[in-house]
Amino acid sequence: MVNLTINGKQVAVEKDATIYDAAKACGIKIPILCHDKKLHPFGGCRMCLVEVEQMKGRLIPACTTPVTEGMIVQTTTDEIVKARKLVLELLLLKHPIDCPVCDAAGDCDLQNLTYEYKVNMNRFVDEKFNHEIDYENPLIERDMNRCIHCGKCARICDEIVSYGAYTFINRGIEAKMGTEFDGPLNCEFCGSCVSVCPVGALNSRPFKFKARWWALQKTKSVCSYCGTGCQLTLGTKDGKVLTTIYDENQGFHNGQLCTRGRFGYQFVNSDKRLTAPLIRKNGKLQEATWEEALAEVTSRLAAGKSDPASVAALATPRLTNEELFLFGKLFRGTVGTDNIDHSAGYAHEALTKGAVASFGVAASPAEIADVQKSNLLLVVKSDAYETHPVIGFEINLGVKRKGIALRIVSDKKGKLTRLPGAKTTVHAPGNEVALFNALCKSVIDQGLAVEGVAGLDALKAAVADATAEKAGVSAEEIAAIAKEFASAEKALIILPIGQGYPGHNAALANAAANLAILTGQVGKEGAGLLIMGEKNNSQGAVDMGIYPKGTGLNAAAIIDGCANGNVKTLFVAGENPVVSYPNRAKVEKALENVEFMVVSDLFLTETAALADVVLPACSFAEKSGTFTSLGRRVQNVRKAIPAIGLAKSDFEILNAISQALGGARYNNQGEVFTEIAASVPAYKGLTQAGLKDEGAVYPVALAAKLVPAAAKAAAPAAGKLALVTGSALYHCGTMSRFGEGPMYVCPDAYAELNVADAAALKVEEGDQVTVTSGTGAVQVVAKVGKRVPQGVVFSPYHFGEGSVNTITDGAEVTYVSVAKK
Amino acid sequence: MSNAPAEEIPAEEIDLTEANEVIDKYLKLPGNLMPVLQGIQDAYGYVPKPTIDLVAERLNVYPSQIYGVLTFYAQFHLKPRGRFIIRVCVGTACHVQGAERITETFFGRLGIGHAETTPDLRYTFEKVACLGACGMAPLAMVNDDTFGKMTVQKVDEIIETYNARPMK
Repeated sequence: MVNLTINGKQVAVEKDATIYDAAKACGIKIPILCHDKKLHPFGGCRMCLVEVEQMKGRLIPACTTPVTEGMIVQTTTDEIVKARKLVLELLLLKHPIDCPVCDAAGDCDLQNLTYEYKVNMNRFVDEKFNHEIDYENPLIERDMNRCIHCGKCARICDEIVSYGAYTFINRGIEAKMGTEFDGPLNCEFCGSCVSVCPVGALNSRPFKFKARWWALQKTKSVCSYCGTGCQLTLGTKDGKVLTTIYDENQGFHNGQLCTRGRFGYQFVNSDKRLTAPLIRKNGKLQEATWEEALAEVTSRLAAGKSDPASVAALATPRLTNEELFLFGKLFRGTVGTDNIDHSAGYAHEALTKGAVASFGVAASPAEIADVQKSNLLLVVKSDAYETHPVIGFEINLGVKRKGIALRIVSDKKGKLTRLPGAKTTVHAPGNEVALFNALCKSVIDQGLAVEGVAGLDALKAAVADATAEKAGVSAEEIAAIAKEFASAEKALIILPIGQGYPGHNAALANAAANLAILTGQVGKEGAGLLIMGEKNNSQGAVDMGIYPKGTGLNAAAIIDGCANGNVKTLFVAGENPVVSYPNRAKVEKALENVEFMVVSDLFLTETAALADVVLPACSFAEKSGTFTSLGRRVQNVRKAIPAIGLAKSDFEILNAISQALGGARYNNQGEVFTEIAASVPAYKGLTQAGLKDEGAVYPVALAAKLVPAAAKAAAPAAGKLALVTGSALYHCGTMSRFGEGPMYVCPDAYAELNVADAAALKVEEGDQVTVTSGTGAVQVVAKVGKRVPQGVVFSPYHFGEGSVNTITDGAEVTYVSVAKK
Repeated sequence: MSNAPAEEIPAEEIDLTEANEVIDKYLKLPGNLMPVLQGIQDAYGYVPKPTIDLVAERLNVYPSQIYGVLTFYAQFHLKPRGRFIIRVCVGTACHVQGAERITETFFGRLGIGHAETTPDLRYTFEKVACLGACGMAPLAMVNDDTFGKMTVQKVDEIIETYNARPMK
């Protein structure tokens, strides 16, 4: 620790702290414009100038000067104030004073400092800039006339996002923040630059002219897209979510969001939201009252009680823990059926079967904080960035700041593979289990396995013939990864799961867990296996037991049951099987066939359109409760706006049905949480109030053991391309289709081809192509690049039009032929 | 002035062999961006857009950052340059000796302005601040040849001389 004096206050700080950090630690505010706690010090704006007794004769920038023992610092003397005023005058020389029409007004550091330092006149005169404003994209407006050259946008885009869209271009008075070839912004539109811009140079266009900052009501909540569980602050006014507000003190991610988190909130106030219940009368869905709709549903479920096996229920892991708990209780307890599931069944199998077998718990042994504490990250599929972009930021930061080694085993390349020092092993699609088995064998062969692990002999026998060749990669690569992984002090495997990844199943979780257990990389911080659930409450849905526990039907069997008539009543809470479950034609036929289907959802989805009763549900912004993120962190979701139209939260809907059926009845969702804390062992002792803003990571007691995982032999079909599905960076599930942001950046289904394959097929970027498999054919737009290897075609699954589940049937890899339309 | 907005950057097809050779040469060198860009400019006479994408890909540097470097240094050019670079000094001594009339005459004869190139790629004209030979003011240079005590008549002589020179 280093001791120093700031404004007469004694303060002791770490030796790598700067004067700015030290002042902040003792509650003294030093003004800044270019500094950001998440970024490397820059020292460009000269607002933070202070006086240091030992360095008399000049003013010292606080944000870049490290503390030294015995330093005596003054932060506000007459001379300093004069210098800061000069800095502001010089900045205001070029900065347009258009605050009345600037969306940053009220949230503008320059405006606030001008006010604070009373800069009410300028001794200098000069012309303003006359840069063209970039309106080329509908998300981020770039008005470089307002730019003060703090460089934060370029630095955050490089240091954290690793996209590098911005740079300083030109020199001297002509210097400005620009892009490649000074063209329009063309990036992944995460909006990180907008969040850190201290002025109104970078604006969120969806929020333009919507409200003044001071008129917004701010509610802290949790993002409802992916499983990362990013905290966000919703800015609301007049019952509408108008923006997400950046708060650098929120969450492990310091307020960083991805494009869907920051720009995807519009689905809440979308005019496509369902505002009244619908009942099918004479073959058409017609508006009805809640009483009618609920009466219809409850009478159906009451009748189902006498034959519980004919009732089935599917829930989306987007619901809160309280809703899912109530869902489970209603169907398991009151109705008496075990036919409940979520996420097509396979999408959570890595947790419910894989993790349970390997670790004895249906959760990841690692948490998000372990990413930064690790020495080596082994990422399964470069898609970890696409499925969980903010975890991607964490990986970027860890690799670039802390020099964490990054090894990727993937069927394609991606942004992660370009990180400094990243080594990517590209394998043939569907070979993940074989690859992990080969790694385990290599660990054993090299004598790197931990002595006396439970199940070692069985594993040895099981992987005896697991060769690198079978995994389709070189023996040297396997040996190198195995050695590095085993000898790293702390090594963490990152495994994204979800409906786009049928191959990321229990077997893969076991195979990956085997490697971690075999090398002793479990049960310590910075190590283990992080299974990343796809949806905001994927972990919670598993914790609440929303999957068949006994002989009940799983999602696939429920669909089959609907088709063959065994399932007569289907309750769907927020799921959209038609677009997201494998084999669309089969699902559609099954759902058309089922006697009675009720769907509660925000929108009239492809699935809801087939229902007999549609109940309008509330989005995350209209309800309170808790979500559990992929690192087992339970977090508070808070109601920010009243329900849209006549919509009711799934809690209210399930509570009403439960009560009508003579089941449990709760006064509010908080009572459910109390019951969860009492009945779900992992949640023991938690209270909603106790979760506060930061949430709580529940502990797990691991009972790790090796579980042999059988690799399926992937048989490539001659002359066909291997179709791998997954997530597009901008989307999550099928809900992001209702957000303007994601739909701008990625509006249509596409198939991504390698340049060589595209050339052979005479397909160019943007062409319409027909992708045909044994299951069906679909028309999508072609994307051509070097990301996917030759012989592979990638397609994301989120879209209703040209949905990729038309041609997949749940296999790890689907072999397809592609032809220009 | 090396800055040029995107639409002015020629998007022609370029043979990338030489650029790849330059990158191969410096691939292992730490801080290799500057020598690579200089090498490419030597080979092509300017830094063509496709080579920027190639450098970005092979050195794993953001294209935006390369563009930032290229526009920061006056030595880099994003547009094709003439075979002969005519530079006329407009520094203090040359200015006093009538450099203005020399530049105006060049503009008139060549039909191009400052930092511009003739469509036949024979000449690029630049005004420069000082060429360091004030005793010979007003001064002009064509590539490495120096012409002191310039006059309006001499402008025509220079253009005639270099019109007669081969392009390669």
